[in-house]
Amino acid sequence: MAFRKRLQSVHVPHHKNTAGMKAETLPPPKEVLLPMNMHMGTPAVPVVGVGDYVRVGQKLARGEGSITCEVHATVSGTVVSLDPMPDLFGNDLPVIRIESDGKMEADPTLAPRTAEDLAAFVEDLHESGIVGLGGAAFPVDWKFDAAQRNTVKTMLINGAECEPYVTSDDRMMLDHGEDIRRGIEILKKYVKPENFVFAIENNKPNAIAAMKELFADDPAVSVVTLESSYPQGAKQMILYNALGKVVYAGQRFATLGVIIINVSTLAKVARFMDTGMPLVDRVVTIDGSAVREPKNLLVPIGTPYRCLVEAAGGLKCEPGRVVNGGPMMGHAVPSLDYPVLKTTSSVLVFSEADSVIHEPSPCIHCGRCVSHCPMNLNPTAFSDDLEEENADKRALLLDRDHVNFCIECGSCSYVCPAHRPLAENNRAAKKYLKKYKADHAEGGKK
Amino acid sequence: MDKRFETPSSPFTHCGASTQRIMLDVIIALLPATAAAIVIFGAPALVPVLSCVIAAVVSEFLFNAITHRKQSIGDLSAVVTGLLLGLNLSTNVPVWQCVLGSVFAIVFVKCLFGGLGHNFANPAITARVFMLVSFSQVMGGAMPKGVDLVTSATPLEVLSTGGEGLPSLLDMFLGVRGGAVGETCVIALLLGFAYLVLRRVIRWYVPAIFVGSVFVLYFVTTGSAVTALYEIMAGGLFLGAIFMATDYQTSPINDKGKAFFALGCGILTFVIREYCAYPEGVSLSILVMNILAPMIEKWTAATPLGLGGPKNAK
Repeated sequence: MAFRKRLQSVHVPHHKNTAGMKAETLPPPKEVLLPMNMHMGTPAVPVVGVGDYVRVGQKLARGEGSITCEVHATVSGTVVSLDPMPDLFGNDLPVIRIESDGKMEADPTLAPRTAEDLAAFVEDLHESGIVGLGGAAFPVDWKFDAAQRNTVKTMLINGAECEPYVTSDDRMMLDHGEDIRRGIEILKKYVKPENFVFAIENNKPNAIAAMKELFADDPAVSVVTLESSYPQGAKQMILYNALGKVVYAGQRFATLGVIIINVSTLAKVARFMDTGMPLVDRVVTIDGSAVREPKNLLVPIGTPYRCLVEAAGGLKCEPGRVVNGGPMMGHAVPSLDYPVLKTTSSVLVFSEADSVIHEPSPCIHCGRCVSHCPMNLNPTAFSDDLEEENADKRALLLDRDHVNFCIECGSCSYVCPAHRPLAENNRAAKKYLKKYKADHAEGGKK
Repeated sequence: MDKRFETPSSPFTHCGASTQRIMLDVIIALLPATAAAIVIFGAPALVPVLSCVIAAVVSEFLFNAITHRKQSIGDLSAVVTGLLLGLNLSTNVPVWQCVLGSVFAIVFVKCLFGGLGHNFANPAITARVFMLVSFSQVMGGAMPKGVDLVTSATPLEVLSTGGEGLPSLLDMFLGVRGGAVGETCVIALLLGFAYLVLRRVIRWYVPAIFVGSVFVLYFVTTGSAVTALYEIMAGGLFLGAIFMATDYQTSPINDKGKAFFALGCGILTFVIREYCAYPEGVSLSILVMNILAPMIEKWTAATPLGLGGPKNAK
């Protein structure tokens, strides 16, 4: 396939200020906060009580139900509370608070995993607490469960990292090549794909070189250099740009013979299999216009942002916005007391000047959102559809305009000269349609 | 817990574009044509331009004030409408007609439909057609200063009546010929085109397809490249193709639709010029295509990535 139609994308300034900075290890925080829904799917259920002494890696909450995931202690210390924290998380789910004793004592029962086959590997992964670290938060045991039902031809290792500022995957490839190499060995043993493809954006030449060197002698592993364009790391985009494939509506990635895994997730899987230590820490990029010394930090999950900000030299001006994740798809959080989650690739603190919300003006029909939408959608249509007063017709219009294809990448809002909240409307529209369809299906059965 | 931060929806960064900046870019792109108008037609060229701009801004201001709407003249779109209309008129048109046309454009075509982003047709084009119908005797071209011609016919009128006494191709390119003040100087309009393309305000292929299709149709039907060149440089084709057929609100939102829209404009311009009573077809063709734009948009909408089934499954 010599010629391939280019996907629409946006060029967003990279701000990879921390690309040259190896992750520093943060000293143990005084306290960690571990919510029960750090993964996609059903929330976890606590198995510890207030007053229990826990060690690093010890199971705190079990996964129950569909697409669920365990939670483990990330520091050693005492559980002080299981109360919900609606002011931070806006829901009634328990949050496990551990007061650290500063010793970071590991759970002595943890041992390397010795799964015999794929089924046992998936069983083991269920106890790893690992989710897709790129942002999807899809539990890895569920990811590899699909390999039991489909022949996996290609493992696509996602190292695109297209979000501005974030360099945690970049550093993973540069500093933890050994974990990644082990990860590939483990996948060869259990998943047995025909080949492995690393896909990395061309703004990370060192990581590309490192991966090429690491697998120079392995004919099954290749490295694809991707153009630096947003949202290159989204699964549909990377599948197309790295492998030339499209996953059609109703299909799954695994039925195409492809499993996509983030490069940091892969390294964590290797670490878990080799040591038995579940997901308890991760590399987080701390950056943004209000941060004095942007850097990469290796932090226990659950560490409040405040500790990261202190380690980054504090704030140089009054902050106006705190973001969990990248600036395009991340979530604004209400306070610096918010903790690092499993998917927190970066913590961004912006100055008040950079946090101004522009008042939307009328849509001028310029078409920038349409010509930048990676999924070829018309975001203005969804906003119009949402204004339809008849509930049935609203759902019909949204369905007709294919709102469910929206990947919520935020490109439309980014390019809109009228500052219209297009991405926000898209999310609202998808939510509405989902609820409408659920209600409708229920009504139909009755 | 001390400070609480707002938690709006992502993204938390923006490319920096604004409606006002886009309108400013269009105004900047029209400056070479405005300057050329003054050079070619002298100070009188300022009369339609200034009266239209002032009338447009004042009428939008008053409309918003009277109807208690949010003031919108700051987005500069009224200036663009006024400037475009002014450049589309000749020095023959009296001031009161310029003002009336401008008020019609702003109040009836734009504001009454809900203001910027809600009009179904391009205000400047609609006003020009309205004036063409109402005041047809003065809408023909005025002659450049210093050009002593017995007839005051514009090249289009000359072309449609046999072609005696046409200006040279170079004069056509430089704009030393009769017509509306802003439409004659092709080189100045092309400068504005280059600026708009560089600033990514318009798509290069919209004017290219519009002008190109008119050229091809004349070349094919007459067999003469010279005639085709005269035809594309005569009338308001470049002004219309660069500045009016690219109007966001009244052309399809998607790239493919824009291309078909431009092609339709080109074909209609040829048809109106050749087979209808009016010698000039640019305004009318754009107006007709404005009305068809929503349909074109619907027909040419892109397929979402992943919709449908695998077509070439191996």
